[in-house]
Amino acid sequence: MSRKLIPWLLLAAPLVAQDARQIIEEVQRRQRSESQHYEGTLEVTGGGNRIATKRWTFDRIGSFGSSKSILRFTVPAEVKGVGLLIVNHPERASDQWMWRPAIGREQRIALQDRSTRFFGTDFSFEDLEERDVAQFDFKLLGDEGGVWKVESTPRKSSQYTRSFLWVKKENYTIVKVESYNKKGLLRAIDYRDFEQVKGIWTARTTEIQDVPRNSRTTLKYDKLEYNIPLKDADFTLDALRRGT
Amino acid sequence: MIHLRGVSKRFEGKSKVTALERLDLDIARGEMVSIVGPSGSGKSTLLNLIGGLDRPTEGEIELDGEALSKLNDDGLTRVRRDKIGFIFQFFNLLPTLTCVENVSLPLHLRGWARKKVDERARELLGMVQLSHRLDHLPDELSGGERQRVAIARALSVYPPVLLADEPTGNLDTATGDEILKLVHDLHERLGSTILMVTHDASVAESCERTIRIRDGRIVADVRNTRKERVRS
Amino acid sequence: MMLLRLISWPYARKHLLRWLLTLTGIVLGVGVFVGMHTANQSVLAAFHETIDRIAGTTQLQVTAGEPGFDEVVLEKVQALAEVRAAAPVIEATVGTDTGNVLILGVDMLGDRSLRTYDFEGTDAAIDDPLVFLAQADSLIVTRTFADKNGLKLNSRVPMKTMQGDLVFTVRGIMKPGGLASAFGGDLAVMDIYAAQKFFGRGRKFDRVDLALADGVTLEQGAAKLRTALGPGFEVEPPSSRGDQFEQTSRAYTLGSNITSVFALFIGMFIIYNTFAIAVTQRRAEIGILRALGATRAQIRTLFLAESAVAGIAGSSLGVLFGIALARGMSGYIGGMLSEVYGVAQHSGELELDPWLLGGALAMGVVTSLFAAVIPARAAASVDPVKALQKGRNQALTERENRVRRWWALVCATAAGVALLLSNNSVMFYAGFVLSVIASVLLAPTLTLWLSHALRPVLSALRPVEGTLAADSLIQGPRRTSGTVAALMLSLALVVSLGGLSRSSFASLSEWMTTALNPDLFVTTGETLTSRTFVFPALLGEGLRKIPGVAELQMVRSVRVTVRNAPVMILAIDVESLEKRTGMRPLEGDVRTMYKQVARGEGVLISENFAHLRGAKLGEVLEIPAPTGMLRLPVAGIVRDYSDQQGSVLMSRERFIQAWNDDSVNIFRIYLQPGADEAAVRQRILDAYGKTQRLFVLTNSEVRQYVTRLTDQWFGLTYIQIAVAVLVAMLGIVNALTVSITDRRRELGVLQAVGGLRQQIRHTVWMEAVAIGFIGIVLGLALGAVELYYALGIARRDMIGIDIGYSYPVGVAAALAPVILIAAFLAAIGPAESAVRGSLVEALEYE
Repeated sequence: MSRKLIPWLLLAAPLVAQDARQIIEEVQRRQRSESQHYEGTLEVTGGGNRIATKRWTFDRIGSFGSSKSILRFTVPAEVKGVGLLIVNHPERASDQWMWRPAIGREQRIALQDRSTRFFGTDFSFEDLEERDVAQFDFKLLGDEGGVWKVESTPRKSSQYTRSFLWVKKENYTIVKVESYNKKGLLRAIDYRDFEQVKGIWTARTTEIQDVPRNSRTTLKYDKLEYNIPLKDADFTLDALRRGT
Repeated sequence: MIHLRGVSKRFEGKSKVTALERLDLDIARGEMVSIVGPSGSGKSTLLNLIGGLDRPTEGEIELDGEALSKLNDDGLTRVRRDKIGFIFQFFNLLPTLTCVENVSLPLHLRGWARKKVDERARELLGMVQLSHRLDHLPDELSGGERQRVAIARALSVYPPVLLADEPTGNLDTATGDEILKLVHDLHERLGSTILMVTHDASVAESCERTIRIRDGRIVADVRNTRKERVRS
Repeated sequence: MMLLRLISWPYARKHLLRWLLTLTGIVLGVGVFVGMHTANQSVLAAFHETIDRIAGTTQLQVTAGEPGFDEVVLEKVQALAEVRAAAPVIEATVGTDTGNVLILGVDMLGDRSLRTYDFEGTDAAIDDPLVFLAQADSLIVTRTFADKNGLKLNSRVPMKTMQGDLVFTVRGIMKPGGLASAFGGDLAVMDIYAAQKFFGRGRKFDRVDLALADGVTLEQGAAKLRTALGPGFEVEPPSSRGDQFEQTSRAYTLGSNITSVFALFIGMFIIYNTFAIAVTQRRAEIGILRALGATRAQIRTLFLAESAVAGIAGSSLGVLFGIALARGMSGYIGGMLSEVYGVAQHSGELELDPWLLGGALAMGVVTSLFAAVIPARAAASVDPVKALQKGRNQALTERENRVRRWWALVCATAAGVALLLSNNSVMFYAGFVLSVIASVLLAPTLTLWLSHALRPVLSALRPVEGTLAADSLIQGPRRTSGTVAALMLSLALVVSLGGLSRSSFASLSEWMTTALNPDLFVTTGETLTSRTFVFPALLGEGLRKIPGVAELQMVRSVRVTVRNAPVMILAIDVESLEKRTGMRPLEGDVRTMYKQVARGEGVLISENFAHLRGAKLGEVLEIPAPTGMLRLPVAGIVRDYSDQQGSVLMSRERFIQAWNDDSVNIFRIYLQPGADEAAVRQRILDAYGKTQRLFVLTNSEVRQYVTRLTDQWFGLTYIQIAVAVLVAMLGIVNALTVSITDRRRELGVLQAVGGLRQQIRHTVWMEAVAIGFIGIVLGLALGAVELYYALGIARRDMIGIDIGYSYPVGVAAALAPVILIAAFLAAIGPAESAVRGSLVEALEYE
């Protein structure tokens, strides 16, 4: 039983493979890192939204199954300090807590709420978590000239009924994801501006589109680093409350 | 005693009805006068006006020195109470009161002492020969007896004027004669001025004077001879 | 129909005033019925609507009584596979400058899966829950509320919170409709965790709203949730909140029904009266009709048709009157019920139920028809030959009276039997009705006897006027007894309600003296019943240290559903309570019961709880708590007026254990001897008033408050009394109007033989006062009987308190002159018309 997971948001990894599962596993293998840090800039446009810019800092420790992440908003001022702690579990959905400095307490993000939009962006909370490849069925749909098209179907509950992934043969990076629900195409993610950081092919820009709302969010990664020294103790509820 | 000058009475309605037209009439103290005429001739209206039950449309009525038109309603009532006794065709006794109580009525209204009222009522009922019926209700009496109670009531304060509207009209001939006799008796004994409306010629003739009215006017005013009266 | 137009209309037109007066009875009866029920229904409808609108797509709601439950419950609910979405809710009604606003505390992240928030404009702040959540002062208001208060986005809204007056910021405005129309639009949405903080709720939710996964039925889902959560929780569809609400208003409905039945009953007598008189007066006319070939059936139909027309006219006016009445009452009822439920309704539009209106209309018409049955029969039996003869015949025949007396005896006996079996509710109410019917049947006979008895007295006062007045009563039993019966009924109502109010007030004051004896009360609101906010227990420790404070009791009062009724759980330091108040129990051993409760091995229940919920001493009470079902025996029954629905007293420790809630609603403070009340109060305010929402009430202020509440409760009673007296007065006017018509000739004779106008007036006045007097005598007597039943109804079905029988001598003594004066006033008009008419006509009248 593979313990490897798909990070929807952050990826890249190359390997030669024949069937779809092997392809995805290779993607994950190449993406593997012990920790990660970046400063993200979010821009939400369209869908009747004002163009809103937000910034956050992101830290992750551990890889895939046992990774923990903390995300903290820095801009704009009215949301500064709001944090999100994500504790991924290999066998089940992640635990997520939000820290709310204004009322001085954390708030659990319930599983049922994972499909809701992540704070006005076009991501949902679910899009932020990692999931075990064992929780999906994969099917290789075709070879579109340098790119594999893979269909993934979740085995457990998800807001999506299926997704299409486009994986670049050259370096096993996912360049595009389309996720569907019963009604049709819900979200489309484009990964762009690939660059090798510490040997890992990394997209410096992710653009996610909420198709029904006709709204898109662009996430740019700055100061991206892998395998930096981080402490486990900084990825707990207490740490979240401390706000460091 | 009674003086009418130019008295008219008209009833206002959809069409004006003139009941009395410029009537002049004088009745002396102690006279016993009958008023006759066909139905609707105005004889009852005349009686009502003299009795102060109604007011003339125009003209002046003087009764025992009082000009009625100058009196207000309560003044008229006082005149009725002190100077006039009424005898009605239908007796108009109060059915719930006994004979004594009915006769006492005007006396109580004058505020007499209870004892005095009672004495007078018994005396009056004795005068009309009803001493044995004192505590009977009107319903328990015959027509003649009822009229006698009514007469006793009319006499209760010994009024100078007695007005009778068809006193025998609702009685059989024999009883009627009996009542008439009583009235004559009282007239002689008390000397009251009596005005009696009737359509019975014999009743009319029994009076000293008969006034005949038609269409609101006096058409005849005759003094009857003693002989005729004695016959009755 | 032709007959109606040719015969009835001219008569009615001639006696228009009397007919209008007659209709008043029906108008009031129907009006009160429609008014009370419409108000009730409107309040309920508004309540349902608010629930519905707030519920959104919620299929089930998890509640655990008023104290709510810990946040972990939410996770338990969300963990169930049967649950698609679950969202926590806190509701609070908060005062603002423009009245109360319903605050809905929700978790904006998950709530949208249950409720639709339709915002105006495209403001990022609202669209971005991050900003909304990051700022604790965020508030979403409705367009209605915004307009009312002149608010725009980012406007500041001051609100009273647990931390004193705080200013909130409008971060979103909802479009009208749906959720935004709940509570009449006076609604604001706030983050639930902020709400917890500002309303002192700790880490608790009021309830969890949830939607089930596809394919799961309500029953399955509810069953699964109940198993998962345990007995302390209720899992019901949102609509069942309304059902409970309806139950609460049941007692109220009962009261209003009795009143309107009484009004109708009284109205019926007035109608009967009028028709009986009309038949008498129109004997000649009936005789002519019969002579011309009208059949008996036609005559009967004519009168019934008249009464139907009268009924329709009266009922229609009554419906209109009722709607007007409802407008005034709905606010009152809403306030009363929202007190019981915290959140409630918003008196908005009146809910007009066509069935109710139709029913009321039918009720009025049937009453009118029923009242006319006997007179119509009498009319049909008029002998044409006799009718055309002079003289009148209107005395109630002795035979008729005898029959009535027999029936009265039968009813009285049956009432007596019912009284013996009065443990049964049906029997009890049957006895009540039978006793009233018996008295009504006896009324004519008693009226006659009393009139005879009065005759010598009146004659002695005024030989002529008095005698005639008494005779008029004796001779006109039809016109007198109906009025007397109506007067009797309404006075009996006044006496019984007055007695009820006096007696309950007496026991209430006694309770206030013994149980409500602390010197100071520290509360979160201006009133003792406000439960929007609670104090942390810690505050108690601080208060104890304030100089001058000798003893402090912490009271937590929460509404919890016990035996299907929302009763009040009072958690208090029982030992201190025993020491300070030592309330004597109605049942139970005073030496042991407090100790038993203090050990957490029992509860004390209030008398009204015992009566209304049928609980007995020693019985084990099941009280649902979040930690499981509490099973505690009843250690004693005490007189406690804390709550209309009944109260259960338990030890504070036991409560904290079971509810995991140590917050406090009220601190009861006893001062050290010689301590200055005002000074201690000031010290408390100085120490905590700035940082805490806190009110310090003195004992006398609390008493005033309780008294005012009771007054309010009886306020409606006074309206009912006024209505009843009004109806009775109209009856007197009616009777007198008829009387002077009937007695025109008699009064004419009186004037002809020298009666002054003043003397005529006297006789009319005396007749009126005599009717009033007879009504008072009979009414006060019947009131003694009815008071017994009123106390029974109150005990059984309304307030559940056993109030000792004590005849309201004061009320009776006050009523007598009021009614006599009213009777006299009622006589003024008729007396004037009696002296105004033409004498000549009066004498010729025949």
